[in-house]
Amino acid sequence: MPVWLREYSWRQTGSAVYLMLPLRGVRVTSANIFCTEQYLKVSIPPFLFEAILYAPIDDTNSTAKIGNGIIFFTLYKKEVAMWDSLTLANANKEQLQYLRENAVLKAHEKAKEETEEKKITKQEHKKYALEATMKLEEAERKRIEDLKEKERQKVTKELELWKKQQNDAEKQKRVQKEGELHQEVEQLKEKKNEKMNKTRIPNEGTSKTRLKPTKGCHGSYSMFSQNLKEEQLPAPRSAATIKINFTSRVFPTALRESRIAEEEEWLRKQREARRTISADLSELEDLKEEEKNPDWLKDKGNKMFATGNYLAAVNAYNLAVRLNSKLPLLYLNRAACHLKLRNLHKAIEDSSKALELLTPPVPDNENARVKAYVRRGTAFCQLELYTEGLQDYEAALKIDPKNKSIEKDAEKIRHLIQGKTQDS
Amino acid sequence: AAAAGLERPQLVAHVQQAVPYTLFDCKWVPRSARLLCLGSAARGTGLLQLYELRGGRLALLREIEKAKPLKCGTFGATSLQQRYLATGDFGGNLNIWNLEAPEIPVYSVKGHKEIINSIDGVGGLGIGEGAPEIVTGSRDGTVKVWDPRQKDTPVANMEPVQGESKRDCWTVAFGNAYNQEERVVCAGYDNGDIKLFDLKTMSLRWETNIKNGVCSVEFDRKDVNMNKLVATSLEGKFHVFDMRTQHPTKGFASVSEKAQKSTIWQVRHLPQNRDIFMTSGGAGSLHLWKYEYPAQRSKKDSEGAEMGVAGSVSLLQNVTLSTQPISSLDWSPDKKGLCVCGAFDQTVRVLIVTKLNKV
Repeated sequence: MPVWLREYSWRQTGSAVYLMLPLRGVRVTSANIFCTEQYLKVSIPPFLFEAILYAPIDDTNSTAKIGNGIIFFTLYKKEVAMWDSLTLANANKEQLQYLRENAVLKAHEKAKEETEEKKITKQEHKKYALEATMKLEEAERKRIEDLKEKERQKVTKELELWKKQQNDAEKQKRVQKEGELHQEVEQLKEKKNEKMNKTRIPNEGTSKTRLKPTKGCHGSYSMFSQNLKEEQLPAPRSAATIKINFTSRVFPTALRESRIAEEEEWLRKQREARRTISADLSELEDLKEEEKNPDWLKDKGNKMFATGNYLAAVNAYNLAVRLNSKLPLLYLNRAACHLKLRNLHKAIEDSSKALELLTPPVPDNENARVKAYVRRGTAFCQLELYTEGLQDYEAALKIDPKNKSIEKDAEKIRHLIQGKTQDS
Repeated sequence: AAAAGLERPQLVAHVQQAVPYTLFDCKWVPRSARLLCLGSAARGTGLLQLYELRGGRLALLREIEKAKPLKCGTFGATSLQQRYLATGDFGGNLNIWNLEAPEIPVYSVKGHKEIINSIDGVGGLGIGEGAPEIVTGSRDGTVKVWDPRQKDTPVANMEPVQGESKRDCWTVAFGNAYNQEERVVCAGYDNGDIKLFDLKTMSLRWETNIKNGVCSVEFDRKDVNMNKLVATSLEGKFHVFDMRTQHPTKGFASVSEKAQKSTIWQVRHLPQNRDIFMTSGGAGSLHLWKYEYPAQRSKKDSEGAEMGVAGSVSLLQNVTLSTQPISSLDWSPDKKGLCVCGAFDQTVRVLIVTKLNKV
């Protein structure tokens, strides 16, 4: 229950009401005062002061002065009249309630209107500011355009002037040329009779008789000297050829064609493969030094394959693989041996392992990949798994479309498959 | 700040003309306000158009059609009186035409097995000394030097060694023609090789590789002791080599700049100032550059051998004219700042570069 403030004093004039409300010991701010046209409330919990005013007031212009311990209200009346009392005398609870609610609603509406107005003015201000900046920028742009336009016109004029000069110069030249042609004929006649150093005399002679501007003199001189010059031009060079080489790269492609990323990966893998040495040296201690080198073993294996000793070749490759399991060529060659030994499953395994190690696919390992596909394909066919075999042959053909034997074999397999499906 | 910006050279677009064919090369006719456009018509024939700059337009004076599309042309090897045009076409033929009577070429040879990508001429137009010669670089990997007085066989042939896989030659340029004997040819290839051939000693004088295909090479002046060489490449890079000092192992010093994100198709030096050059790019832009020499152009290395010092390059101005690559560029030798460029959007544009005197 709030504590009602009943002590107040008021006086009035024709147009205003002055209300003094003492509030000792409490701090008042403008938030505690609520005022509408006919309702005034001051609420500082737990204190409460409420007044239903006798007549409506102009609440926007009315003021409240918060002093030390007292609020001084100056309420401007809407109608100039004298009030009988500050508040409406016979106000019952319902009326009071109604008035209160009304007052609150009114206040809300007012507040809304005010915010709306504020928004509108803000927008207008923004618009204005924007337009102003746009105008400024436009002016600046125009200024620059004008300067550029002036330059353009100046330059065009200069160009026209220059062109005129060119045309005039050409006309003059043509006239001179004709004049000179006449003189050249004369000069040539004289030249026949006289020596080289006397040619100056004909020129001087012409300069005396010449009525046209002195440019002609220079003209004839230069014509003359040009003739001499032509005779002095060096003979055409003796034909020769310079042979050149182009910059080589590991992969001979220009930057724009290279697949650097893949190629770098391939190179890196190769390097790593070379470096891996199997840690399992205990069993291998009794091997000779050279037998621990996978490359040497590979070569040994190749030789034995060439002589037809397939089992020995397989042994060599096995040892090499134990030493370094990352070299794809070992698996590739071992697959070939297994094919010859008719260990078809082992051949397939080895070719697959080789293909695995031969990624990423780059032009460098094309040959190896073709061989792997062909060997695996052959093994599949010999196991009568013709569709898988055909797949591998086609993959080989994709890498190397020009290989006739692969093409022939692929054809054969296709026929076989068709034959089988017809049977079944 | 805007005012300061306007003190720099401006690239003013003066005239623009749409042409009904693919434009490959455009060149000013020396001593005139006329320009030449070369290209390939839609029906697969070559087209040559001669325009004159009149008022604010280009007026078409002549149109000449030839059997094969034309790729490149030069006036570099003809005299000022004759002004014959040498062209290379898609079939590998080198022809020299008299534009007054273009039905029959003055000189013709099937120089290469494949398209002639680039052509250059030296010894003509009253510039430099020595015999007029033409060099052509082709997709067949060879670079050949021709003398118009000698029929059918080139006077020099730079070809790959037997068995070597060939690389396309994309650009050629003459240089160092300061007296009657000296001459060099610089050639750029699609794998980034740049090779310098000395024609006096008939040998390879220097080679290097700039990793990306070389689209254009040019010496700053053909007729002086070789001073600078600019080589442009794919992926927006160009290199400026200082050619005054050749180190026995390191070759020539260079500075490189990555300017545009796309290929730099052409570089052309201003005929009136050899330290200013313009590069044209695959994004339709033109950049104007100035080269500044270092305080000392050469220094000694640890073993006492002379080696060159490269300077620096600064961008003066740039402009984007088109969305398609600007494939050809030529400065007028008669009017400073006037230049023509041709782009793959079938438009030829004449530009004026202002304030070059103040640079």
